[in-house]
Amino acid sequence: MRIIHVFLRRRLWPVALLAAALAPAAALGAGYPRVTSARLAAAATDNGWLMFRRDYAGNSYAPFRQIDTANVKDLRLVWSYRSHLQEGYEGSAIVNGDYMFITTPKDHVIALNAVTGKVLWKYAKSLAGVALKTVCCDVVNRGVALYGNDVYLATLDNYVVALNAETGRVVWQRQIKPADVGYAMTLAPLTLKGMVIVGESGGEYGARDFIVALDARTGRELWRRYTVPAPGQLGGKTWPKGMYKHGGGSAWITGTYDPLTNTLFWGVGNPGPWLAKLRPGKNLFTDSLLALQPRSGKIKWYYQYTPHDSWDYDGVNTPVITNLRYHGKEYRAVVEANRNGWFYAINRLNGKLIYAVRFTRATSVAGFRNGAPYTDNALRPTLTKQVFTCPSFLGGKNWWPMSVDPLTHMAYVPTIHTCMTMKGAPTFYKAGLPYLGETFNVVHDPDDHNWGALQAINLDTSRQAWNHDSALPWDAGAMSTAGGVVFSGSARGHLYAFDARTGRVLWRSPQLSSGIIAPPSTYIVDGKQYVAILAGWGGGVPIWGGQMVQSVSNIPRGGHLYVFALP
Amino acid sequence: MRTRGFVLALSILLAALGVECGEAAGAAALFTAAQARAGRTLFEQKCAMCHGRHLQGLSGPALKGPLFASRKAGYTVRDIFLFLSVNMPAYAPGSLGAEQYVNVMSFLLQQNGFPAGRVALTAQAAATSTVALLYHGPDGRHGRDARRARDCAASGARAPSAGHAAPRGCTPLAAAVPGIEAGGHRHAAGKRLR
Ligand code: HEC
Repeated sequence: MRIIHVFLRRRLWPVALLAAALAPAAALGAGYPRVTSARLAAAATDNGWLMFRRDYAGNSYAPFRQIDTANVKDLRLVWSYRSHLQEGYEGSAIVNGDYMFITTPKDHVIALNAVTGKVLWKYAKSLAGVALKTVCCDVVNRGVALYGNDVYLATLDNYVVALNAETGRVVWQRQIKPADVGYAMTLAPLTLKGMVIVGESGGEYGARDFIVALDARTGRELWRRYTVPAPGQLGGKTWPKGMYKHGGGSAWITGTYDPLTNTLFWGVGNPGPWLAKLRPGKNLFTDSLLALQPRSGKIKWYYQYTPHDSWDYDGVNTPVITNLRYHGKEYRAVVEANRNGWFYAINRLNGKLIYAVRFTRATSVAGFRNGAPYTDNALRPTLTKQVFTCPSFLGGKNWWPMSVDPLTHMAYVPTIHTCMTMKGAPTFYKAGLPYLGETFNVVHDPDDHNWGALQAINLDTSRQAWNHDSALPWDAGAMSTAGGVVFSGSARGHLYAFDARTGRVLWRSPQLSSGIIAPPSTYIVDGKQYVAILAGWGGGVPIWGGQMVQSVSNIPRGGHLYVFALP
Repeated sequence: MRTRGFVLALSILLAALGVECGEAAGAAALFTAAQARAGRTLFEQKCAMCHGRHLQGLSGPALKGPLFASRKAGYTVRDIFLFLSVNMPAYAPGSLGAEQYVNVMSFLLQQNGFPAGRVALTAQAAATSTVALLYHGPDGRHGRDARRARDCAASGARAPSAGHAAPRGCTPLAAAVPGIEAGGHRHAAGKRLR
């Protein structure tokens, strides 16, 4: 009975509604284009922007040419939408047909008409009774995922919520962990093969984190991949007795998928507690890239970016799937600009390192032997020893997605230049409290007094192709287009358009109402190309940025979506 | 009318049981009013930007109220003091002096309804206090037990703290701040690591 009931509610309800209203097709279906697995697989060429960084490869690259290097200077604001919440805006605008979905801090979703900006519906996850205690780096959300007629949200209190794309009504919701005890979610979910896949945050709170796949239609859990193995499992011996239980290994940024090898790639964050002395061993699979079987979550291979990390160098940055030609050899690669200051190109067929190069001052990870990184052990803090090392825990690059342009073969990497002092400190595990064991202070790189840059790295040579310096940190995502333009926003609140080949600034928007930490998206409706960006300063930098905080403390707060197009 | 009569009867009953507003009242006096005042100034300069002027929470969590100081979270004064004195303010962890951390801790206690008393809080006492950090209502002006706690504080002792099998009257302050043991002890609810 119950099954039939559920079936009726879930599957036939829209049909019944349609029949009852005797509405023309426009009432349902024709308005909202259904998102199929086939469309997701071809998201790179879709007119919309169907997922986190546009396609399964995570390139943040759109093949649109309407806006190009010659006319980008003519971009005008076509509409904007203001939100009242004052915390950071890290979401990508997701577009399907003429439907746009954005998220705000504290898990609100807003559906808008992508051409006019008209609000279609709003949804706010109730966080009543939730203290938001274990959210380290602002109460942010990075956007939704789409599948079928549903929109998926991952929340700070660990729910995955499926909403009807046309009405905003909850289709199902499922809590995968209690709130406030070390776990929270801020990422955009990934929809793949009828699953909705998310990962938990909690590396600062003694969580034992995981990636989980749910049935997109029902929310039923299909598999759960702990990123920190228990004794007896692969990698279990890399932890001292019992320490895996609070070993961190957060999975807080959306993964990517390679159809060629049928591999789901997902990055893993720092080990807990931060002070490595407390957990001798490599501490797998923290700070690693995981290559997973998408149907089971089984590990095919892994690559650890930072072994036995004591510097909070999460390995979660988007692993971008691309091909490159290095020293005359073709590679099917996955590339990542890591928190530890190294840019990695890894063979995605077997997990072997192709190359690694520094893209900012990087001293903790000192070099590579046989394709694996080694650390400078003199730069490991203890309870009595303070060290000075680079980059700071905020990274050479934090989560802000880079973009890879298949035409220029360049990666456009948002960068910050920082170092830090770090020293051990007493800590204890208590559910709901941070579990760090270190104190720290973020300071300037002694050789580079710009806090940030947007730089281009030539994937084939591994060398820097161009660099745009910034006095303030550059902590916003990048996007490239076939028109030869790279877009990214600044802390001062300008959306920039760079020449993809040279880095020359082609256009700068008027100053927006707040600084930018979100990545841009672009889409075409009725033959017209639009560029969307959320302004709304916040995130981790103004909280944990040490000396950098002063330089950004006057940036106005507040969220504002801006959509630009040619006249 | 009826409802009001019922509420009145219920509150008399609850008062008789020593229970107020769903949370056992009666908080220890652990700090002086001067400490809390100094702590407020410091909080506004060093903490409010992330936790909010009214401690309501912004990018950092709320530091006041039933969600912060809850039975479920199960914090003791020691838990919070050890954490904040090592890790806060987030942009410069551990950068304040011991006295400043004690003052800001006093302010947090006061904001969660703990009464000020005559005996000053010390870093040592804060770092070892197993007093439960529970919300006792706005600024401590919350019912009979809180008042009694203030009276007790004035006499250098404390009211029974929440969760105790409440003997009427006051217990000596020393009982509220046990252990002048130097650090390194085991934590009540977990492992302590050095
Ligand atoms: C720059 C932002 C920022 C500033 C300034 C700051 N905090 Fe925090 N605070 C946080 C964040 C974020 C957390 C969440 C826990 C974490 O990740 O460490 C936190 C957590 C806390 C907690 C633990 C709350 C809980 O329920 O677990 C306490 C207590 C605290 N802060 C006190 C303070 C005090 C006192 C000051 C001023 C001396 C201060 N903070 C300054 C950002 C800040």
